[in-house]
Amino acid sequence: MSAVETKIGKYSYRVEAKADQVADRPRRFLEAFAAVLDRSNYGLALDAYARLGAKCSRCASSCQLYTATEDTRDIPCHRSDLLLRLYRRYFTPAGQFKARLFGGFTLTDEYLDEMAEEYYRCTACRRCKATCPLGVDHGLITHLARWLLAEVGIVPKALVVAVREQLEGVGNTSAIPVAALKDTCEFLEEEFRDIYGVDVKFPIDVEGAEYVFFPAVSDYLLEPDTLMGNAAVMHVTGGSWTIGTGNYDGINYGLFYSDRMMERIVNQLVAEVRRLKGRKALIGECGHATRAAWFVPTFCGSDAPEVVSFLQYTAKALREGKIPLKGKVIEERVTYHDPCNIARAGRITEEPREILKAICTDYVEMTPNRTENLCCGGGGGSVSIDEIRPFRTQKMGKKKAEQIRATGAKIVAAPCANCKKQLREVCEDNGLDDVQIVGVHDLLLKAIDFGVEKDAGKAKDAPPGEKENKQEE
Amino acid sequence: METWLEWARGPMFRGALAFMILGLIRHVAITWFEIRRALRRAGDKSIPYSTIAKATLQWLFPVNRIRDRLVYSVTTVSFHVAIVIVPIFLAGHILLWERGTGLSWWAIPNHLADLLTLVALVTAVALVIERAAARDTRSLSRFGDYAIPLLVALPFASGFLVMHPEINPFPFDATMFVHVMSGNLIFILIPVTKLSHCALLPTTRLISEVAWHFPPRAGSEVALILGKENEPI
Repeated sequence: MSAVETKIGKYSYRVEAKADQVADRPRRFLEAFAAVLDRSNYGLALDAYARLGAKCSRCASSCQLYTATEDTRDIPCHRSDLLLRLYRRYFTPAGQFKARLFGGFTLTDEYLDEMAEEYYRCTACRRCKATCPLGVDHGLITHLARWLLAEVGIVPKALVVAVREQLEGVGNTSAIPVAALKDTCEFLEEEFRDIYGVDVKFPIDVEGAEYVFFPAVSDYLLEPDTLMGNAAVMHVTGGSWTIGTGNYDGINYGLFYSDRMMERIVNQLVAEVRRLKGRKALIGECGHATRAAWFVPTFCGSDAPEVVSFLQYTAKALREGKIPLKGKVIEERVTYHDPCNIARAGRITEEPREILKAICTDYVEMTPNRTENLCCGGGGGSVSIDEIRPFRTQKMGKKKAEQIRATGAKIVAAPCANCKKQLREVCEDNGLDDVQIVGVHDLLLKAIDFGVEKDAGKAKDAPPGEKENKQEE
Repeated sequence: METWLEWARGPMFRGALAFMILGLIRHVAITWFEIRRALRRAGDKSIPYSTIAKATLQWLFPVNRIRDRLVYSVTTVSFHVAIVIVPIFLAGHILLWERGTGLSWWAIPNHLADLLTLVALVTAVALVIERAAARDTRSLSRFGDYAIPLLVALPFASGFLVMHPEINPFPFDATMFVHVMSGNLIFILIPVTKLSHCALLPTTRLISEVAWHFPPRAGSEVALILGKENEPI
C-alpha cells in the first residue's frame, strides 16, 4: 500500500493508501485546501480555532438556524468543527503524526456531502461571532468551506449561473443588455418629469464623474423607486455620478461561494471605475454588494478607488443640509431591517436611521437590532435558491416575521436587494400581507422637496387611467 | 514518600513550570509572527484595532455578558476567577516563592482562599454537569471536554485538604504529593490543550479580523496552482 504525499507551499498533506477509499473528489478537495491555505491568510484563523475551540456552545443560543431547527448539527461550533477536524487531521503535524500511528479518519465523499449540506444551511450572518467568548468567527469558516467545496464542483446552481452570466455572459447577474438598461433609465427620467415635474438625469458613461454607480443590477428590474430615490439624491445634492455601460452590476456572488470569483468580480468593478476615470465606486442599496466592494483595497491595492455606500453618501448630505425635505411625510409606522453584511461589524447602522428619522413620524426599532440583528433568513446567497423557500421563510424567517409583527410597522425599510426579496416572501408566508418591504431611498424619494410647484406631483396618487391621460397631455 | 514529595516539589515542579512558560511563549511568539506575516501579505492593511481591543477587553472581563445564559455565565466566570486568584495569591504559595527566589507579593487572607477554593470545586463540577445536561453542549463534547475541568479541580481539592488536616482522612504527605503532582500536570497540559487559551485569548479577535484580509491575488494564484486559470465557470 502506498501513500500519496502532496506539498503546496508550506502545506503538505498525506493520504494513506487505504485511500483506495479516497475517491477523486476528496483528493481534489484537499489539494484545493492546501492551495488556499498557502495563498490566503485563512490558515492563521484555522490554526488558532483548531487549538482553542472550547465548545462551550454559547453560540448555539445566538444562532438563528439552530434555534429554529433545534438540530444539533446546526450549532455553529459543530458546523465549524467539520472543517477544523479536516485541518487538524491533514494539515497539522500532530494530526499527521497521529494518523500515521493510529490511522485516523479519511475524508470521504459522504463527509463532503455532509459539509455541503451544513455550510449551505448556515447563512453566514456571523451573529454567533459576537457571542463566542473566544472570538471564533464561524462565518469565516462557512465562507472558507464554501470556497473549498466550490473547487470540487459543489455550489448551488443559482449562484454559479449568476456568476457565469456576470463574468462570461452579458456582464451582469440579471443578464440585462445595455439597450435595456438605457431604456429603463430613460423611462425613469420620464417618470420623474411626469410625477414630480423635475428633470432628473440618470447619467450614462460620463467620463470623469466623481462616483460610478453600482446598484444590485436587479434593482433595474424590480426596484425602480430605490433607483429613483438614488437619482433624486444625486440631483438635489448636485452630485457628480454616472452609470457605466461596461459594468453596472454591484452584485458579487463570489462572496457567497468563492474568493476566486469574488476577486474577478471586484476587479471587474474597479476596471469600470478606471475606464470612466471616476474617483469612487458608489454602491447602491445592497448589503452583500457593499461588503464585497469593501474588498476593493484588498484585491486592488491602496490606490484603488474609494468605496462609498449610497446610505453613507445620503446621510452625509442630509447632515450637511444638502437634501431639502418636505418634512416628515411618512406617517405610517416604519421599522428598519439591518442587513447582516453592512451591520454585523457595525460599519453601517446609524446612517439609514438618520435618514428614516428625518422623514418618518412614527419610526420604531426592531429588537434586537444593529450589530445584533436577526438575519432576514435568506443570507449567504440562499435567497437565490427558490427550491428551499419553505425552509427560508418558515424555518429561518419565522423569527424575523415575529420581530416585524412585534413592531406593528406596516413598512419595513431594508436597504438590500436580497433582504428585500426574502422579507417579501417571509411576510407572504407568515401572514404579514399588509406589510410593505421597501428601500430607504424609496421612502426618501417621497419626502424630497424638489422645489417645484406643479400639479404633476399629484399624478402619482391618481388612478392609472387619469395618469396615462396626463402623460399624453 | 518524603523523597517523592521533594522530587515533585523540586525538579518536577521546575520542569513543569518551565514547560508551561516556554510552551506559552512559543504559542504567543508564533501567533504574533503569523499575524505580522498575514498583515504583510494582506492587500488591505487597515485593521479596526480599537474595535477589536474593545471587544477583546469586553470578553476578558465579561461583566456585560453575564446576563445572557445566566447560570452558565455565573458558573464559568466564578470558576475562572477562583482558579486564577487562589494559586497566585495564596499566602502559602507566596512563602514558597519567597524562599526559592526571594520574590514575594500581596496575599489574600486564608479564609478567602478557602472560600474561592470551594467555589472552584463547586463550579468545576457544575461545568461538567451543565455540559452533560444541556443538549447542545452534550452533542459537541468529547472526553477531554469533561476531563479538563475535573483535572483542574484536582489540585484545588487536594490543596483544600492540605490546608485543613482536621478533615483530611488521608496522610498529609500523600495528599501534598497529589496536590503538587496534579498542579504539575496542569502546567504541562496548559500549552498542549485548549487550556492554552489563557495566553492566546487576547489575540483571537485580532486573528479573526486579520484572516479576512487576503493577499491581493489570492484567488488567481489558487487558480494557477490548481490549473484552473482558463477553466470556464
